[in-house]
Amino acid sequence: MTYQKSTRLAAGLAAGATLAWALPTLAHGIVLGYEPVNSVEIQAHYDTGEPMAAAQVVVYAPDDPNEPWMQSTTDAEGLFTFTPDASQPGNWEVMIRQAGHGGIVTVPVAAANGEEVVSEDSGADNGTAVIQGQTDTTSSENLSSVQQGIAIGAVIWGFIGTALFFARGKR
Amino acid sequence: MHIPDGLIPAQVCAAGYAIAGLTTWYSLRQMNRKPDPTAEIPKASLLTAAFFVASSIYIPVPPVSVHLILNGLLGVVLGYFAFPAILIGLFFQALMIGHGGLTTLGVNAAMMGIPALVAYHLFNLRQTLGRALPDRVALGGFAFLGGALGLGLSTLIFLVLVITTIPAGFDVDTERSIILALSLAHIPLMLIEGSFTTLLVLFLHRVKPELLEG
Repeated sequence: MTYQKSTRLAAGLAAGATLAWALPTLAHGIVLGYEPVNSVEIQAHYDTGEPMAAAQVVVYAPDDPNEPWMQSTTDAEGLFTFTPDASQPGNWEVMIRQAGHGGIVTVPVAAANGEEVVSEDSGADNGTAVIQGQTDTTSSENLSSVQQGIAIGAVIWGFIGTALFFARGKR
Repeated sequence: MHIPDGLIPAQVCAAGYAIAGLTTWYSLRQMNRKPDPTAEIPKASLLTAAFFVASSIYIPVPPVSVHLILNGLLGVVLGYFAFPAILIGLFFQALMIGHGGLTTLGVNAAMMGIPALVAYHLFNLRQTLGRALPDRVALGGFAFLGGALGLGLSTLIFLVLVITTIPAGFDVDTERSIILALSLAHIPLMLIEGSFTTLLVLFLHRVKPELLEG
């Protein structure tokens, strides 16, 4: 019977494997391949510079922005890596949230070779999925710290100037 | 404690704007009834600057860190001027520091501004409930109440808002427990801001008591 045969075969194989301990995969062909994929690494940190560790992450695919495509959490450094499905070009949305804080990052993914680019205005290279740029939800991230400092200083000066103007008017 | 863009549904944002708009209208009307509405603008403007900066001052409350809000303090010192002050402060915080966001400006203004007005009325209770107490004790005590409860009420609104709007796909239990931890971390902050309000009110009472009459 095939069952017995296979049992015996398994027993034999087990014995063989025990004997040839150093070569446990002798008879099994392995096919290794590779395909370059573009992964996206999301970096989440608070504006104090502290990483958003173990924050919850939900990825929404472009074709169904209501249903979560993937759920995960960031690691201790506030990093989260995922590989968008190249067959779904468009804007992938990654929502990160912890204790009511967080935001949404939009990751534009261009189509893989031969597929049409849907709702993608920036140029796409051929061959693999292309992920362009890094968007951030906070406007302040686009400025250097000096620029931000000057802007904040200008705002504070605006408040003080208003105070001075109306204080002068009283006298 | 600011609610950022994109985390709460659009209906909540719209409702926030509606409430903030109504409250702004009411506050402006109350301000306009004063004999000289511009007289308090220097004070309001300086405290708006303080409010704007305060959210960048972090206080570590292990395991999290919280930042100053000062909405109770603004309410106690400014009265109805506090609401426009908070609205303007939040607007610049959203633009410059990235705290909060423009779509959630209304929600944040309502969340922090309305408790500020409550704090103002709490502080005013010193003239009725606090009459039996010595002058400075009543002043300091009710300033503490206003400063602490203004912030506490905001934290409570924040808690309810973010817990009820956890989007599908997030693990509700994990998120809820972290939100609770963050809210509990605001209890020490309430004590800090309450004491700070007391100090400021007692200081103003000593150097320029007419500033507190508003």
